[in-house]
Amino acid sequence: MSGRILVVEDDERIRSSMRLALEGEGYEVRDAASGEEGLDLFAEAPTDVALIDLMLPGMDGFECCRALRRNSAVPIIIVTARADTHDVVAGLEAGADDYVTKPFVAKELAARIRALLRRARPAEEEPGALTFGDLQLLPEQGVLRRLNGEEVHCTRTEFRLLCELAASPNKVLSREQLLDRVWGYDYFGDGRLVDVHIRRLRTKVEADPAVPQHILTVRGMGYKLVP
Amino acid sequence: MRLGIGARITAIFGLAALVLSILMGGLSYFTTRHFLLAGRETAAQHQAFSNASLVRTALESGDTQYVGLLAQIDSGTGAHSVLYQRSKSYASSLSVDAASIPLELRKTVLAGTAATQTYRTAAGTAEIAVGLPVPAVHAAYFEVFDLSDLDHTLSVLALTLLVAGVVTTILGIAFGRFAASRSLRPLADVSRAAGAIAGGELDTRLDEDAADPDLEGLTLSFNAMVDQLQERIEREARFNSDVSHELRSPLTTLAASLEVLQADRDKLPARSQRALQLLAADMQRFQRMVTDLLEMSRADAGSVDVFLEEVNVGELVERSVETGLGHMDGMGNGSAPPVLVDPGVRTWRVGADKRRFERVMVNLMENAANYGGGVIEIGVGPGAGDWVEVTVDDAGPGIDPAERTRVFERFYRGSASGRRGTGTGTGLGLALVAEHMRVMRGTARVESAPEGGARIVLSLPVLDDDDAGLE
Repeated sequence: MSGRILVVEDDERIRSSMRLALEGEGYEVRDAASGEEGLDLFAEAPTDVALIDLMLPGMDGFECCRALRRNSAVPIIIVTARADTHDVVAGLEAGADDYVTKPFVAKELAARIRALLRRARPAEEEPGALTFGDLQLLPEQGVLRRLNGEEVHCTRTEFRLLCELAASPNKVLSREQLLDRVWGYDYFGDGRLVDVHIRRLRTKVEADPAVPQHILTVRGMGYKLVP
Repeated sequence: MRLGIGARITAIFGLAALVLSILMGGLSYFTTRHFLLAGRETAAQHQAFSNASLVRTALESGDTQYVGLLAQIDSGTGAHSVLYQRSKSYASSLSVDAASIPLELRKTVLAGTAATQTYRTAAGTAEIAVGLPVPAVHAAYFEVFDLSDLDHTLSVLALTLLVAGVVTTILGIAFGRFAASRSLRPLADVSRAAGAIAGGELDTRLDEDAADPDLEGLTLSFNAMVDQLQERIEREARFNSDVSHELRSPLTTLAASLEVLQADRDKLPARSQRALQLLAADMQRFQRMVTDLLEMSRADAGSVDVFLEEVNVGELVERSVETGLGHMDGMGNGSAPPVLVDPGVRTWRVGADKRRFERVMVNLMENAANYGGGVIEIGVGPGAGDWVEVTVDDAGPGIDPAERTRVFERFYRGSASGRRGTGTGTGLGLALVAEHMRVMRGTARVESAPEGGARIVLSLPVLDDDDAGLE
């Protein structure tokens, strides 16, 4: 599988080694040493996945994520030094789809990229169109819109997550199931990925995200979609 | 034994109240007694004197109806009279006779001197006797007054004073305790604050505005100390995080480049392939050491953010062992140890950081492989109370009871040193197990396995329905 990857990383040697490793996995790689340069490169040519280091000089990784998110649904993977910090949650809230920690294994990174690219293409088992609240989900067209025709913009990961929940309405899906189906993680996937994406989805789908009516948390079990 | 300052203050207050009440009570009692007694004595003397005059007049007029005379005198006074004349005595009633008069008083009066004596009879009644010589008729007149009413009044007074004394003492003790706790309260605040700081709440300070003026110095220097402490800890945490970042960057480059080389391994000459193999093996070891050391230093700096998820304990252990096998360092045999999960606890829910727990299992399996002949069985069963226990048994010789807590210390190798296998422990394995378990609100300890090897017991609290769940 090939794809066009944008790497934003300030350390020159890491950048070069990432380029070598990812090219070895068959990806087409462009790299930038700063957030600003990364945004310029992104605007120049189409990108399938953006890989952004959180610790960047000048514009930091969070800001870079937010800037990308303002006008693109491109899958973003953030690179962080530590998994057990609030940086991960902050990065996800800034719009990232997934994260890897340094030092990462190139194979693992390639697997994360593959999962995101897979998701960017139509899934095999799409749920039919579903209407809930004043929203209409059209999986085949990749569209979520309000009944008045206004489109609700969400990232591919958010859309994919919504489709998984919509595929079995009223049925509880555990975080492990969602991590497996949406991100391609095994049992040890980070549950915060699901939590943050659910939170992001609620701000777009729910009238009052604090009191969700459609995407519900089932304590100790997981999440379910109630039309 | 040394008494605490609180107990001492209480004791001083109690003692002061006791001494004071004894003094005041004693003083009031004896003063009252003195005045009452003196009044009665004077009254008795007056009465006896006038009665003696009557007796003298009667005797001078030649009356010899002594008993009738005495009874007449006595009537209505409640006193009894005794008359001596020419070695004979006459009493006004059967309840008194010559012997009722104290001997000493009798002698004094018969010798010609008027006297008064207060005494207690053999039956315990307090009495006062007044003796007057009547030389004109060669007689002595005695009158005995009953003092039991006065006696009664005085004993009521004594009782009242005693009760008052006891109450005062108790009040003194109570006030002492109150004063002690009041004066120790600022110290209790300091102690609470110190406890909170030791518990990791570095932002805790004493309120400088509310501080007692007498303790202002303590408050200020305490806060200054905590400021410095916090600054040092934060500086250390910053340093650790910097080191972490600085070390991870070259490691990332090394790991990625190594993977590129490994992908092209077949194109390398045999010698280079061998060198690459060594490089890859120690690269992994180095990575583990750096990760472990950073993990440990972060735990020290208290800069660990924990994300506990609610998971089924059975699944957690099985998955951790399964995945952990692949993450073991330098182990050739990839055979999975049997995991026996008690069906009763399989679905018990615990709050765990799955990846930390996997590291715990990996460390224990590596440790067993390095020092204990490998894991022979992993069990999951109920612990005491609301706890669930995971046991990891190895095939080794066991761990000496004296070493059982020390094995969780960093870089502790103990009697197992020198028996390092191909595995490459950093000496932090079990210390990290303890640290990971602590972070997950659990514990780790060593016991003996039934087969004689070492058994590591991990305990985790079971979540009940009241515990916070998802989100």
